[in-house]
Amino acid sequence: MSLDNILNHWSDYRKGSEEGGHHDYEHRWAMAINLDICNGCNACSTACYAENNLAVVGKERFEKGQAMHWLRIERYWDQQDKDYPEQGASFLPMMCQHCGSATCEPVCPVAATYHTPDGLNAQVYNRCIGSRYCSNNCPFRVRYFNFYSYYESAWPEPMEQQLNPDISVRDKGVMEKCTFCVQRIRTAKDKAKMEDREVQDGEVMTACAQACPTSAIVFGDTMDENSVVSKLWKKHQVERGVYAKTKLAKKDKDLRGYRIFEELNVDPSVMYLDRVREDI
Amino acid sequence: MNRRNFLKTMGWGGAGAALTGCDLPTTITLEEGKEEVVSYLMPEEYVIPGVGVWYASTCTQCSAGCAIHGRVREGRVLKLEGNPEASLNNGKICMMGQAGVQGHYSPDRVTKPMVRNGDTLTETSWDNAMALLQEKLGAVSGDRFAWFTGTISGHQSALVSNHLDAMGSKQHYVHEVVNNSVSQAVNRDMFGEANPRVRIDKAAMVVSFGADFMGASLSPVHYAGQYAKFRTKKERGLLVQIESKMSLTGGSADLWLPIKPGTEGVLALGMANLLLNKIKVSDAGIPNGVRKLIDEYDISKVAKITGVAGHRIQRVAQLLTERSPSLVLAGPSVEGHAHGYASVAAVMMLNHILGNVGKTIESSGQFPFPQLMAKQGGTADLLAFAEAAKAEKLDAVVFYGSNPVYSAPKALELNEAMNKVGFKVAISQFMDETTEVADLVLPVASYLEDWGTQVPMQQSENSAIHVQQPLMEKLYEDSKGLGDILLSLLKQRNNDEYGKFEDYYAYLRNAFAAMPAAVKNNTTNNNEFWNNTLQKGVIDVASSGGKLKSTVVSFADPVSESANADGLTLVPSPRLGLYDGRHANLPWLQEAPDQISKVVWDSWAEMHPTTAEKLGISNLDLVEVSSAQGSVTLRVVLLKSMHVDAVAVPLGQGHEAYGRYAKGLGVNPLQILDATTDNKTGELAMYSTRVTVKSVGPADSLSIVRMGTGSGDSQAGRKLVATVPVEQLRRTEGS
Repeated sequence: MSLDNILNHWSDYRKGSEEGGHHDYEHRWAMAINLDICNGCNACSTACYAENNLAVVGKERFEKGQAMHWLRIERYWDQQDKDYPEQGASFLPMMCQHCGSATCEPVCPVAATYHTPDGLNAQVYNRCIGSRYCSNNCPFRVRYFNFYSYYESAWPEPMEQQLNPDISVRDKGVMEKCTFCVQRIRTAKDKAKMEDREVQDGEVMTACAQACPTSAIVFGDTMDENSVVSKLWKKHQVERGVYAKTKLAKKDKDLRGYRIFEELNVDPSVMYLDRVREDI
Repeated sequence: MNRRNFLKTMGWGGAGAALTGCDLPTTITLEEGKEEVVSYLMPEEYVIPGVGVWYASTCTQCSAGCAIHGRVREGRVLKLEGNPEASLNNGKICMMGQAGVQGHYSPDRVTKPMVRNGDTLTETSWDNAMALLQEKLGAVSGDRFAWFTGTISGHQSALVSNHLDAMGSKQHYVHEVVNNSVSQAVNRDMFGEANPRVRIDKAAMVVSFGADFMGASLSPVHYAGQYAKFRTKKERGLLVQIESKMSLTGGSADLWLPIKPGTEGVLALGMANLLLNKIKVSDAGIPNGVRKLIDEYDISKVAKITGVAGHRIQRVAQLLTERSPSLVLAGPSVEGHAHGYASVAAVMMLNHILGNVGKTIESSGQFPFPQLMAKQGGTADLLAFAEAAKAEKLDAVVFYGSNPVYSAPKALELNEAMNKVGFKVAISQFMDETTEVADLVLPVASYLEDWGTQVPMQQSENSAIHVQQPLMEKLYEDSKGLGDILLSLLKQRNNDEYGKFEDYYAYLRNAFAAMPAAVKNNTTNNNEFWNNTLQKGVIDVASSGGKLKSTVVSFADPVSESANADGLTLVPSPRLGLYDGRHANLPWLQEAPDQISKVVWDSWAEMHPTTAEKLGISNLDLVEVSSAQGSVTLRVVLLKSMHVDAVAVPLGQGHEAYGRYAKGLGVNPLQILDATTDNKTGELAMYSTRVTVKSVGPADSLSIVRMGTGSGDSQAGRKLVATVPVEQLRRTEGS
């Protein structure tokens, strides 16, 4: 996508998905994460470091909030009034939600972050000038800024040999975040095209979904009605473009599916399933 | 060489009937074998630059032995994933497995053989190193020679044993900090098998006494897979976790019950009391002595000793009879006391009472190749080694895959003991604490550069041998594979039998050719079998059917000797990540926040706020944790996920060596453990050390780092993770 294209169609790109969005989508990649079987083990997060060339920043920079964990496991205690957390901890894998009406996109002065026809919230590193407006505007706090050239210290020789050549190593002044493993999507799409067929469900697996020892994370295309992720969204009556009233729109309000901060109308592509506890 | 010797050489010894029809190789020469290796290093036509190809191998980051796939591009291994062919881990690996590439590409690898020259180690050549080994080991015989390793399996283990035989020694010390040795002893006595197959997936309810099966356990990925089935089956499984420090598994419990450290056995007896005397479950098979012990522990007494409310105990006991089959597990915090064996026996007895044996605890069958089975480590061998070394009974010891100088409590005086070992050889990838004091250091190839076979100690339903093949050329020319080093050592002692194998690869090819035909799917084409095996990475080996007995062994009163003492009990908790300290040199794992406390790059003491208040300690204070053996100073993190009588200091940090990422961070709680042992098994009572904690400095937010977003305690009214009652799930999702 050229910059000209963006400038010429600026108003289109500002169109929210409640107005039909600005794309004839080819795919809409999405996730379903079952919080009842997520045990907070960090396998997904470490797999993300391995797949996406995430820099290790070290203790001091981590302390300053510069950690590059595109996928982090948040941990909450829900029974604060009790002496002990008798129902355990609440774990939440949090990554870029690839919002259909992303709040980060319209604020970018150079359109470095934009929506792709795949339904991805993309980040063009070459175009990014580091204004950090996007990060400021993200309600999920999942954008990570390169305050330094982390690569200078993150991969001392021969560690750089592990770097994934399918994606770049980011430099100082650039914003980065979860891409839904766009390089894996790209590879699968190319392969499908070469074989003159559609991408099959399960053919694209993000590093996190692949790693998850309990298979709590499911990834797929919600435009493919037969995909596992589509069926899960449907089963839980979570729909794209249905906003704050999603819960109310549900016929069965007790279904576990929800999207975080639905009230903000950002139309996230990640559906979570409530954690379940048996009170005994 | 006769047939029996041949089989033993090849690792298939002791196999008995399974070897009928075995076809022995007669004509394969080493050169022929080599030409037929399918190697990515000499690209085949299908290898396209820019396209990653996945090869099968096996993870050795812990002793679980998960099968992996490694993505190789342009001759470099880039990313590891689980191998879906293996039913053990079903295409999954944990964070430690993911970080395997970082150990392989570590900038702190040992790259050349080194020999001690006074206080320093200086580089030398392999020729000199081997000559020195020839000289030193040639002068030693019998039990004055020993191997010291971590858990080891497969053909590498067979060769270690064969080398010991060749040396005329029986001394193989196998040491692991994270182990289930006491449980193994109990299982052997009660069920007839040390490691019966645990079926969380088949259980309707699991009561886990400190068994962190999804965390730093012996096969975390396997059990996480079982757990997912347990939670998602038609009737959602119910998990009750009872422990003094919330483990990773505890974080997922429906009911997490904090218990006074060391009183788990008493609680189990209390539950047995309710089951037998109140709910009137049959007491068949329970010895009189144990029956009497059970009767002594009525509910009010148990509640008082354990600190667990009576109504909770009653409810859990009641549910155990309603949700069948259930499963009761005991973990390291139950094992790690002077009365550890008795406590574990009391806990495991519940499985007998509830009729779980044969339902959720199954026989793992007879693995057909005992020589290849994992030799599992514990801490008893560490103690035995320290004693033997101190008594100057060891002239030469070879260390591999274990770091006793780091993991031994100061009370064992291991440093002094090490000085009394005549000649110490370290086969090592890194300059860790043990390697630093060695007389000869042999740089070993990483597991991603090496050949091998691994036999998982906790097998799934389909037992298997997992095959390890190099995923890339060695990074350092002067490193050697473990198997190659073992072969060189064996050639020095017994060139007749081992001289014909040019290298470990040739040895393995021969071993595979000699494998019983039944295991090879009756193929007679050894090359085809070899190639297929490398492609698949897994050799399915049917374990012949076994049957467990369900008995209750007599055991002593598991009452805690310190139940009424003042002070706190130290919980040296292993983490999924840094594990027992072996992964402290992997930056991804240092930067991965601890799952419960969310601390990175550091050690911390975990304490309940109530305990801290009593001691005048505030969150993030600098505290001194002191035992009779010494003290450690570190920051405190106050969390309610601790019992008020316990203080946890996680394992993994406090390295004085081990490269740039590990050295100098945090503290090592193993150092201050008492040398108390379990009365029955002689294993170190790791969870029984009494400590005092005092504040020595004010909070300083800069000195301990926790994940910024999402490690706060509260969701602050936002709907981030929502929790619904199981009744709602049952109604909407029909489970």
